[in-house]
Amino acid sequence: MPMPRNRESLLQGTLDLLILKALVSGELHGLGVSRRIDRMTGGTFVVQPGSLFPALHRLEEAGWLASSWGPSENNRRAKYYRLTKAGTRQLGEEVALWNRITVAMARALEA
Amino acid sequence: MSRMKSLWRNLVHRDRVERDLDDEVRAAVDELVSEKIRAGERPEDARRAAMLEIGGVEALKERVRDVRAGALMDELLQDVRYATRLLRRNPLFALTAAISLAIGIGATTTIFTVANGLLLRATEGVSAPDGLVDIVRTEPRSGPGITQISYPDLLEIRRRTVTLENVFGYQLQPRPVSMRIGGQGASSAFVSVVTTNYFSALGVTAAPGRLFGAADDDRPGASPVAVLSHGFWTRRFQADPAVIGQVVGLNDEALTVVGVAREGFRGTSVVAPDLWLPTSMIGVVESQRGERLLTTREAPWLMLGGRLKAGVSRARASAEIATIGQALELEAPTPPLGGPFNAPPGSGMVDVAARVFLWSAEVASPIPAGMRLIVAGFLGLLMVLVSLVLVIACANVAGVLLARAAERRREIAVRVAIGAGRARLVRQLLTETMLLFLLGGAAGLLLARGMTSMLVALLPAFPVPVSLSLPLDVRVMAFSVGVSLLAAALSGLAPALHASKADVVSALKDEAPGASDRLRLRYGFVVAQVAFSLLLVIMTGLLAQTFDRVTAAGRGFDPTNVDVASVDLSMAGYTEVTGREFARTLVERVRAIPAVEEATLADRAPEPGSRSFGFLTVPGATPSDGQPFFFANWTLVEPGYFSTLRIPLTAGRDFTARDSAGAQPVAIVSRSTAEEFWPGEDALGKNVVARFGNPTGPNPLPAVTFEIVGIVRDLTFGGPSDRALYIPFQQRYMSTLTVLARSSGDRRVMADLRAALTTMDPNMPVLSARTLESQLSGPVETQLRVAAAVAGSVGLVGLLLAAVGVYGVTALVLRHSMILVAIGTAVGLTLGAGAGRLLAASRFGTPAGDPLVFAAATLLFAAAGFIACYVPVRRATRINAMEALRYE
Repeated sequence: MPMPRNRESLLQGTLDLLILKALVSGELHGLGVSRRIDRMTGGTFVVQPGSLFPALHRLEEAGWLASSWGPSENNRRAKYYRLTKAGTRQLGEEVALWNRITVAMARALEA
Repeated sequence: MSRMKSLWRNLVHRDRVERDLDDEVRAAVDELVSEKIRAGERPEDARRAAMLEIGGVEALKERVRDVRAGALMDELLQDVRYATRLLRRNPLFALTAAISLAIGIGATTTIFTVANGLLLRATEGVSAPDGLVDIVRTEPRSGPGITQISYPDLLEIRRRTVTLENVFGYQLQPRPVSMRIGGQGASSAFVSVVTTNYFSALGVTAAPGRLFGAADDDRPGASPVAVLSHGFWTRRFQADPAVIGQVVGLNDEALTVVGVAREGFRGTSVVAPDLWLPTSMIGVVESQRGERLLTTREAPWLMLGGRLKAGVSRARASAEIATIGQALELEAPTPPLGGPFNAPPGSGMVDVAARVFLWSAEVASPIPAGMRLIVAGFLGLLMVLVSLVLVIACANVAGVLLARAAERRREIAVRVAIGAGRARLVRQLLTETMLLFLLGGAAGLLLARGMTSMLVALLPAFPVPVSLSLPLDVRVMAFSVGVSLLAAALSGLAPALHASKADVVSALKDEAPGASDRLRLRYGFVVAQVAFSLLLVIMTGLLAQTFDRVTAAGRGFDPTNVDVASVDLSMAGYTEVTGREFARTLVERVRAIPAVEEATLADRAPEPGSRSFGFLTVPGATPSDGQPFFFANWTLVEPGYFSTLRIPLTAGRDFTARDSAGAQPVAIVSRSTAEEFWPGEDALGKNVVARFGNPTGPNPLPAVTFEIVGIVRDLTFGGPSDRALYIPFQQRYMSTLTVLARSSGDRRVMADLRAALTTMDPNMPVLSARTLESQLSGPVETQLRVAAAVAGSVGLVGLLLAAVGVYGVTALVLRHSMILVAIGTAVGLTLGAGAGRLLAASRFGTPAGDPLVFAAATLLFAAAGFIACYVPVRRATRINAMEALRYE
């Protein structure tokens, strides 16, 4: 099935990092994660639901996220995600990795 | 949550997981919608925009499912459920497809079962068969054949080997002996002599009693004991345990029965012995040279086997045996069998100087190593035949699947539209095919059971107790499943790939672009089906024709209504003088039996492959191959032999009672022999000088000059005829004796022959009494008979399947069907011509391009093709115009 090209391709590999980061300040439902990332990046990254939900389920099965059910703003049953201990640890590792990459990239581009 | 826990949850609590996913996605959609309404969009626009952003609820769910643990297994279960539903909805298709596949898979499994039982596994009833090897000595230059090993060599190998333990030996061919118990008359039994560690090496235990072991001695005559086979014990002694400890007379030696081998063990070859004797009792079956066989290397008589020591590979053992064998051949070269002359052409012997023996350790199997190639070649031919059926069935099923894929185009397009991935669709369509083929495979495995026993039933009655153990073991199951899956992948992949390419828009609009592509594929399947079934029918025809030629016209004599019975006079102690007297009386008595029209005696019945070579010199003729002697196949006969067998005498006279021991030695030759020895001359009255026994050996017998008194037609057994020479039984003695009697009408006289022999001497066992026709079923004829029967039945099935396939495609595209059949026929004929040449080159000597077979096969096909095309065409022309219009 042809997928429209969008900015999410920029996020390859960084999507996990952004999701974990978005959940540091507390639990959110799926769309909430998307909105938080939007705000955090000043609208640079818009995570489409087609990428977001598979990623959430993948991170949950990896044990980095946990979930619970609560009422949504429309009074439906909504699934709220939060960071687990392992998720926090993973976030630390990914941030460190990301910092190394950005430093290296910056150096490479200045040279 | 750990991965395993997710897997468990996803697979076991599927419903809850699915409900949660649905809730989550729907909540998100609602959220999006209310967000957009809050931003000021109209509710309808907000909903549409939300859906666009989500990319479709089902598609999103599908993408989530794809990342979940156990996604693959989950899909597989789903596919299997879906496929089962589809097959249930089309029971007719499912049934015909499964049946044709079952036949194909069943037939290939049957042949594999035979190959497995004969070539790939040790005989039944031994323990830990994987550790067993055959120690093999071959003489590759003399072609396929069995080379045996002497007893001293066995002892040397046992002493020198470090890779094998429990090296044992046995006689491959059980020998007939005369058996007497208490005061009863003699009967015959088959005996195999084995080393005393035979049973312990194979891990065979005793049912009652004991087997050979440490208590028994290998010194000649030291251990007069015998072990019964379980079958013989049950058949002959009604499984009476009291037989243990009893004394039986075998060829007039007294032996004590010490035990019975456990049920299920029938020896290590395809011929099952009734009794086993230890090597020390070799004298029972070899009265002349018994003790010498235990000390000389000159007369090899054993097949050897052994067990791999722990941690030793067969390759390593084989390398070691090769080295030991090489050393043995160098230390004490096997003396030449036949003196310093060259081997007679066609005798199956090899020039003495050129003999090179190779030693190795091979996978233990009931067929001796030297014969495996022949058996494998024959089974290969059968496998080709039955594989053709499977190919036809596959092409058939693939064609139908393709047609069904066309019907399901809309359904598939819908699934693509709601977000199913292509790989997923291919997988799903393949699952359906796999399910079909596994059904077919399971049914095929069941069929194989029945077919295996049918195949065994095709074998003629052998003069020895043949035991074929052809179990459906793990290997056979694996083969059958493997073939099913392979066939499914082959025939399901093309249709599945094709169907998944469906173009959503046009499919939903009920247009059909890409149909031409699909039709081309479909045409391909039909052409393949027609071609392969034609090939099958041609091969069937060629084999059947060869079978006919070998059995009927070509023999040069008429075996119908002739019964034969054989004895060995030496078993009851007859000498040359008393034996001749016995023979003369016997033939008188048999001629007196009311139903017998004509009767005669010979040292053996005419039989393919059975030859006695004599050394001949002919005054005025020299062998063209530069050897000192002519080799001729001689037969000892009583007067009346030629008329009993309906062999026409073309010149001269038959033997009479006056051609007796003291009279002028006379001989009768075959026509081709006469022409070879005395071209353009009258052979009658000419002389041949015969030497019996090896003229260059240590004790040459005096030469005898025979005068030719008659010329008879050549005997053939489907091949070139031998140089044949007939000599009166009364002028030259042999202890083996066969009485041949032609009876009138349908009455068989086997029982009368047996009775006549037993009345004359109750102590002489009758070795065999049966029809001459059954005796003529030599290996080549047996193979041809089996091949023709297999080819005949699979040919019929293939023809039916092809007709079904043609019918199917004709119903689809009327215009091209005849052209397709024509193309298929052309391809089939080409393949058939190639197959014919291959068969002609094989040992069956099948005529390569018999036009009659090809024409008949093509005609048969034209008829089948016409019928298959006619029915749908007729139906098409009857379509009600209004209905067709309304459909549009």
